Formats: sequence, C-alpha cells, structure tokens
Amino acid sequence: MSEARYIYCIANRDEEKTFGRIGLEKSPVYTIPWKEICVVVHDCVSSPYQSEDQETVRSWLVSHERVIETAWEHFGNVLPLGFDTIVKPDEENDAPENIKKWLMNDYKKLKQKFKKLEGKAEFGVQVFWYPQAIAQKLMETHQQLRNLNKEIQSKPPGMAYLYKQKLDTILRNQMEKEAQRYFEKFYKQIDEKVEEVKVEKVKKSEDEKQMIMNLSCLSPSENSKDLGDDLEKIDKKKEFSVRFTGPWPPYSFVQ
Amino acid sequence: MAIDINENNLKHGLLGLVIALVEIIRDSLNLQAVKRMEGGGLSEEEVERLGKALQDIDRAIEEVKKEQGITESVESVREGLDDVVDDVFDKLVDPQRWAEENRDV
Repeated sequence: MSEARYIYCIANRDEEKTFGRIGLEKSPVYTIPWKEICVVVHDCVSSPYQSEDQETVRSWLVSHERVIETAWEHFGNVLPLGFDTIVKPDEENDAPENIKKWLMNDYKKLKQKFKKLEGKAEFGVQVFWYPQAIAQKLMETHQQLRNLNKEIQSKPPGMAYLYKQKLDTILRNQMEKEAQRYFEKFYKQIDEKVEEVKVEKVKKSEDEKQMIMNLSCLSPSENSKDLGDDLEKIDKKKEFSVRFTGPWPPYSFVQ
Repeated sequence: MAIDINENNLKHGLLGLVIALVEIIRDSLNLQAVKRMEGGGLSEEEVERLGKALQDIDRAIEEVKKEQGITESVESVREGLDDVVDDVFDKLVDPQRWAEENRDV
C-alpha cells in the first residue's frame, strides 16, 4: 500500500542512509542513491497529505522541516523540496524508478543548484520599527508638521479638528516615505553583505512594532557574524528592532 | 468549516460592517472638507461649523463602537478591506504575479 515516495530533499552525496522514524506520522526516512546524489524519502500512499485539522497539518510541516534540517546537518548540501512532494508509480515504472527518471531529466540543473548552494545557508532578516517613535520624531523635525501642530493649539475646536485631519494625512504620507527610505537604506546595506536576497511579504503587526522589511538571504554560513554585527547596529537604534534567524537549509533559493 | 451563526453574532458582524463603511465615508468627507478649507472658498465661520459637524460625527461613531463593543470588529473589517484592495492593485500592477498564482491551481 506504500507504493509512492514522499520526497523531502535531494542531497549532494550518493550515500545509502537511514534516518529512523523522523518522517511525517513517524514514517521511517531513508535515502535512494543515484549516481553521485541521493534523495531523502519515506514510503507513502499515492495521495497527498491533507487535513482540515490545523494541528495535524502543523505537525506534518514541523516533521517535514525537521527531516530536511537533519539531512542538511548530515549531508551539508541539500536542495529542500516543498511540502507534499510525492512521486507515484505508473504502468511502466515503480516510484523509485520514476524518481530516477526525474533526476536524470533535471540532472544538469540539479548539479548547477548544488554548486550554487555549496557552503551556503539561508538567513531571515526582519526589521521592525516603532511607529509611535517615528511619528514623534517627524512631528519634531518636519517643518510643515511642526507648524501645523502649533497652529492647532490656537484654533477654535471645529477648525482645529479639520487642521488635525490635514496633519494626520501629511503625517501618514511622511511615514510612508520614511518606511520606503529606511527599507532602501537597510536593503542596500544587507545586499552588499550577502550573496542573494529575496524580498518576502511583511507580516501584520501584533503590537506597537510594525514590520517594514522581511528578507530571505543566501550567504556562506561563515559570514553570518559579519551580517549579524551590521544588524545589531540597526537593532540598537531605539526606533528599530531586528529579528535575525538562521542558518536554515536554503528553502527559498531552490527555485 | 462549521460557522456558528446565531442572532447575536450576525447582528454584531453586520453592525461592524456598517460602521466600517460609515468610517470610510467619514474619512472621505474629512478629506473633502480639508480641501474646501484650503481652497479658500469658505469663511472662517463656515470652516468652524463644518469642522464641528464632522467632529460630532466622529464622536458619535466612537460612541456607537464603544457601546456596542465592536471596536475590534470594525478594525478587522477595515483591515480585511485593505487587504482585498491591496491584492487587486498588486495584481493589476504585476500581472506576472497573478499568472504565477493561477498556474498551480
């Protein structure tokens, strides 16, 4: 009944290895070697892992990532695949044969990818700012905002209300400009220190912090201290906060 | 996915939606009022009356939200609407993204 193979990643070594029951639903994970590479798999049925239950899906995703990290620690250079990558048998071939067919087809591309990712890891960089602090700074330094604020103090209530609407609009525009300016400034700093950068969507803010930049970076694992030092300088500023994660296997740089 | 609908949360959700829309209209009115004020076509007294009227509307909205306990509900409706608009604009501006998203479906 386990005619298909769930694929976690492809490793740049032709080793026959078993990893034990670390796969989804505690499935035994092992490798299928081919030429000088191998594929990390577990045996499964020919349908995707799907569930309405969030906890179940979450635990599958955790297992998926944990297997890839284990393989990455062991092999050093792996190409992670997405969740639910399953190779099925067909009338002519069983699943392992289909896997080998696929590897043969994409062999050149795979070797190129391995070469590109050798010795590198993925790092996550998220920069947050404190909108309150930034707005306050703007109110103190921006000429038009300072003037408006002063005028509001001396106006009758109805007028003051309208002036405040005007001030809010200008403040909002200035904040957007500042966010853009800081994004470009930090992006440039980071881009110079790493090999490749992918811009990800920012996540909605939970509290008084707001994410203004979310990057996935590809960089040699040894360079992380250098990048970390730079990010610490940004984090030290009271209006900003930085979240620096990794090293991870290069999930975002396989395509 | 089971949705729990009862008379209470239906009213709650509907009220949240209505107030969110009222806020959007209020914001638009405020923008218009500021433009007219800057345009110079209004006397000081007219500006004062306009401002006060809008301020009263604003206060009324805040009171309704407080009394009905729907402040978060309204906020989340507006965030949801923002997301929808952002999404539409993104796809208009970057058709490649739209194509990519639909390729795997």
